[in-house]
Amino acid sequence: MADKYLELVNSGFTKNLAKTLGLPRPSILRRYAPGAPLVPGPVLLLGNSPQAQELSDVLLGWGLDVRRHAVGEGKVGAIVLLLDAVATPGQLSEPMLAAGHALRQLTPGGRVVSFSRPALATDTPAVAAARQGIDGSVRSLGRELRGGATANGVVLGERVDATAPSALAALRFLLSGRSAYVDGQFLQVDSATGALPEDFERPLAGKVAVVTGAARGIGAAIAKTLYRDGATVVVVDVPAAGDALAKVANLVSGTALQLDITREDAGKVIIEHATSRHGKLDIVIHNAGITRDKLLANMDAARWNSVIAVNLESQLRMNEEFLAAGLPGLRLVSLASTSGIAGNRGQTNYAASKGGVIGMVRASAAAFAASGGGINAVAPGFIETEMTAKIPVATRTVARMLMPSLMQGGLPLDVAEAIAFLASDAAAGINGRTLRVCGQSLVGA
Amino acid sequence: MTAQSETPAIRQAVIIGGNRIPFARSNGAYANASNQDMFTAAIDGLVARFGLQGQRLGAVAGGAVLKHSKDFNLVRECVLGSSLSPETPAYDVQMACATGMEAIGSLANKIKLGQIDSAIGGGVDTTSDAPIAVSEPLRLMLLELTRARSTGAKLKAMSKFRPSFLAPNAPGTGEPRTGLSMGNHQALTTKAWNITREAQDELALASHKNLAAAYDRHFFDDLITPFAGVSRDTNLRGDSTIEKLASLKPAFGKNLGEDATMTAGNSTPLTDGASVVLLGSEDYAMANDLPMLANFVDFEAAAVDFVHGAEGLLMAPAYAVARMLKRNNLTLQDFDYYEIHEAFAGTVLSTLAAWEDAEFCKNKLGLDAPLGAIDRSKLNVNGSSLAAGHPFAATGGRIVATLAKMLHEKGSGRGLISVCAAGGQGVVAILEAR
Amino acid sequence: MRATLDLGAAPSLGSLYAKGLGAGVKGWLPGRKSPQLVLPDVEHRVTALRPERDSLVAYQRLMGDTVREELPSVLVHGLAFPVAMSVMVRDDFPLPLLGMVHLSNAVEHLRPISPDATLDVSAHAENLREHRVGTQLDIVSEVREEGELIWRGTSTYLARGVWLGQKQASGAAVREPFVAPTRTGSWGLDAGTGRAYAAVMGDYNPIHLSALSAKALGMKRAIAHGMYLAGRALAGAAPHGAGYTWSVEFATPVFLPSSVDVAFTDSGNGTEFSGWGARSGKPHFTGVVTAL
Repeated sequence: MADKYLELVNSGFTKNLAKTLGLPRPSILRRYAPGAPLVPGPVLLLGNSPQAQELSDVLLGWGLDVRRHAVGEGKVGAIVLLLDAVATPGQLSEPMLAAGHALRQLTPGGRVVSFSRPALATDTPAVAAARQGIDGSVRSLGRELRGGATANGVVLGERVDATAPSALAALRFLLSGRSAYVDGQFLQVDSATGALPEDFERPLAGKVAVVTGAARGIGAAIAKTLYRDGATVVVVDVPAAGDALAKVANLVSGTALQLDITREDAGKVIIEHATSRHGKLDIVIHNAGITRDKLLANMDAARWNSVIAVNLESQLRMNEEFLAAGLPGLRLVSLASTSGIAGNRGQTNYAASKGGVIGMVRASAAAFAASGGGINAVAPGFIETEMTAKIPVATRTVARMLMPSLMQGGLPLDVAEAIAFLASDAAAGINGRTLRVCGQSLVGA
Repeated sequence: MTAQSETPAIRQAVIIGGNRIPFARSNGAYANASNQDMFTAAIDGLVARFGLQGQRLGAVAGGAVLKHSKDFNLVRECVLGSSLSPETPAYDVQMACATGMEAIGSLANKIKLGQIDSAIGGGVDTTSDAPIAVSEPLRLMLLELTRARSTGAKLKAMSKFRPSFLAPNAPGTGEPRTGLSMGNHQALTTKAWNITREAQDELALASHKNLAAAYDRHFFDDLITPFAGVSRDTNLRGDSTIEKLASLKPAFGKNLGEDATMTAGNSTPLTDGASVVLLGSEDYAMANDLPMLANFVDFEAAAVDFVHGAEGLLMAPAYAVARMLKRNNLTLQDFDYYEIHEAFAGTVLSTLAAWEDAEFCKNKLGLDAPLGAIDRSKLNVNGSSLAAGHPFAATGGRIVATLAKMLHEKGSGRGLISVCAAGGQGVVAILEAR
Repeated sequence: MRATLDLGAAPSLGSLYAKGLGAGVKGWLPGRKSPQLVLPDVEHRVTALRPERDSLVAYQRLMGDTVREELPSVLVHGLAFPVAMSVMVRDDFPLPLLGMVHLSNAVEHLRPISPDATLDVSAHAENLREHRVGTQLDIVSEVREEGELIWRGTSTYLARGVWLGQKQASGAAVREPFVAPTRTGSWGLDAGTGRAYAAVMGDYNPIHLSALSAKALGMKRAIAHGMYLAGRALAGAAPHGAGYTWSVEFATPVFLPSSVDVAFTDSGNGTEFSGWGARSGKPHFTGVVTAL
């Protein structure tokens, strides 16, 4: 499943050949590794915010080299654009142009992260225009970046400061290698709840997490990532996938639970396993999913119904069980898909289920928040998995290269990183939201 | 009913859970899997189920009936290849089809004595990857050649070679002392107890139906881990009918003519597979937040003289049960489940008939009254070897884990296990719900 | 008092068979008058025989028995057999060796015999008597260690169509029809069974070796050696560390290859055994072993 093209254009003789021929050269993305620097260079803090100084102090506290003005020709690791105080379209000009000036100094794998406020129907037209303009502008900036650099934003809800725990956590996530394949996206923080971890390398320490569909692909990557971040992991998959599931369980020193999540009592079984074996249940990752692609004209009931049953109805049913159990502080992350947002030919059933997840998450947020938890979704784009490996090579190469700003498919790890972030207590202020992990593309399964 | 069996001086040995790979008919799905592959997979599945990664357990014991000489340390090799701590000691046990029971029972004893706190017991067998030996004359010639020091002695050894030496020796299922296969032995017993073809076919059908139903209600979801693309026992025929079974021709005891009643349908086929059971002390289970399904109360082995026709080859459990019941002050009816290994339908039915027979119980078991009949609705309720198959050494682990879970689900009572074995042996055991 | 002929060393069975065969052919030459049927009153003797340890191991392996420091009874029989044969090929022996049928053996194995023992073997013929289809006689072999009788075997042979006096009015066989008992075992005897036994015992009787050599002597196929069958039975039934008696009677020959069903049953202080054709159902042998 390795992206051979990516390897070829980034190493040795073929790298030079690709340069000479002017072939598109997707970059090797900067991904998180424990112990690696948070940002590969100084952070340029542009724009104005009531919390600018506080934020600067936090970044300094993270060991970053923070600059308020571009200086010299040195490389810049990240640009943080403070746009949360922008009230008119005219106020965008100065910080955006300053950012543009600094772009050529942005190191490969660099980051641009904006802070802004949401454009609401209750805003004055000018305020809403300015805020909505940020959305389009930052996304466009993302499309201009090269070298695996990304542009994303943190949207601060009402009464949420830029230094709220989840705002800082979102910023840190977007600056770090954990967000390698997140590009052109906005994370909205709606409350000041949550707490930053004591150890940023083990943000899930002491947590008990359940991952469904964990036998392979993205699910297995999620399990490994949650384990790396300190969680005790229960991996769940259908009994028929039990052998692969056992391998994952043994890799992450967790426990394997062979369970068909479409069972009526699946939620109960999960709660019983987690609480009896590990004492509690803190995190559920609804990852299990199937595809049964067919053009709608040729779709049969079995294909349609099975996808809805596995990808959506099972989650709805389990969530009811989780709510009924009143598990304190339970954080859930559900797997959506860019297909559920932008649509994908041959996936009317799958897109219904994944679009459904986005709706489900939005509508479930308040209920889970009531017991101190939350629920969000992650929508992957084109991810290199066993599932996508079945797509013909030519289609696959085009899909992974031409559409996304990052000119490549993501890795299961990239999805897992976003999930691990949203599952953490530090993300408690983010609820009911869907984060795309698509390299700024809308192609994907 | 008597009080719960307790021996104050020793502590309980608890069955925490089990794992097996689906059993596959010989030369089928696991044709390329070795005993080591399968047993390692069974251990790893258990480790995954109970989160035992990197743990140093007290002991792992098990074995295989058919073993390659290279597998002289089979179980230890499996442990080294598993996710357990490499500091977990392991040893091989071999007691024909009772290998698994003997391994589990003796581990339970060690736990009860406080020698160890945790253990894995089980067994594995393959008739697909069976050892094939060189012929005896070739073996002797090669040994002589190895011993020969001088060229002359070597030439002399080699001069003994004959092309006929190249015919290999495959392991047989025959009893070495009688030359009769196990099936042909059982055919004698089946006839001696007047077990009808119909009764045998009915038992076989019930085994398939019960096993299939157990799968359908997810009973095995936490007892089996798939292997090599197989997630259900390949011998299982949930759609079998009494008519289909009745249409099969006799496979054993064909010399009995009209009295030949044993077919491929009411006899277990050669099967490949592996099973393991996790045992521990109560303290171990509680300290590790592990479930406690059942207590391993007691076990007993017996053997009979089948060589001189004094008793049927597979009738030893009938004797072992009598002795074990007496020691535990129990009657045959004091059980909520009976797990009688279905080597052949005739084995189960002959054993039941013997327990009901006053003369047998008096003369052979030395009892004043027969042990009596059991409630057949409590027999092998989730299927047994006729449906699941019978990879010799792996059957004990399958049964112990299955019964322990059944008892735990019921929440009370006890179960009886009976496993017959080659060489006229048998091991039986009592489990008690927790 | 019977005369004693000291043979010095044990005679080779090969030369004995050759002699017997020659005598047999002579016996069938046309015009030969029926000889006077009187047994030679002589005992042949060989002293200081030492069993070979290699053949002991080979024998025990062949019979599927455990290798132990005790001479099996059939192996002792094999040691004594050349001496017994030498009696039967004497020029004054009244019956032709060729075509002689081995009917039974009765052996007293009086105590365990060490493989290191030095044995004296003597043999004589006795008890010439009528049989339904001819004449039978006993060859008695005795084995002594330092003068103590430790093994005594009586082999009964039948010469068909040879009569002591007038040919008897041959009444029909009044045999009970054979009903096979419940088998407790099965022996698969392959075509090489005779050769394997011959190689261990050094007893190369052509009728046991191959279909071809057996045909040359008028048999339709090679037949299993009676003492091989007895040896197999004893391997599973004879006690160890104690003396015992055993006997075997042969009914019909076991043609090779063959599948023989056998039954071993406990008879109080011994074991009764029998063998019959797995397919034919014809009885091959019955016997009993009794501990002393």
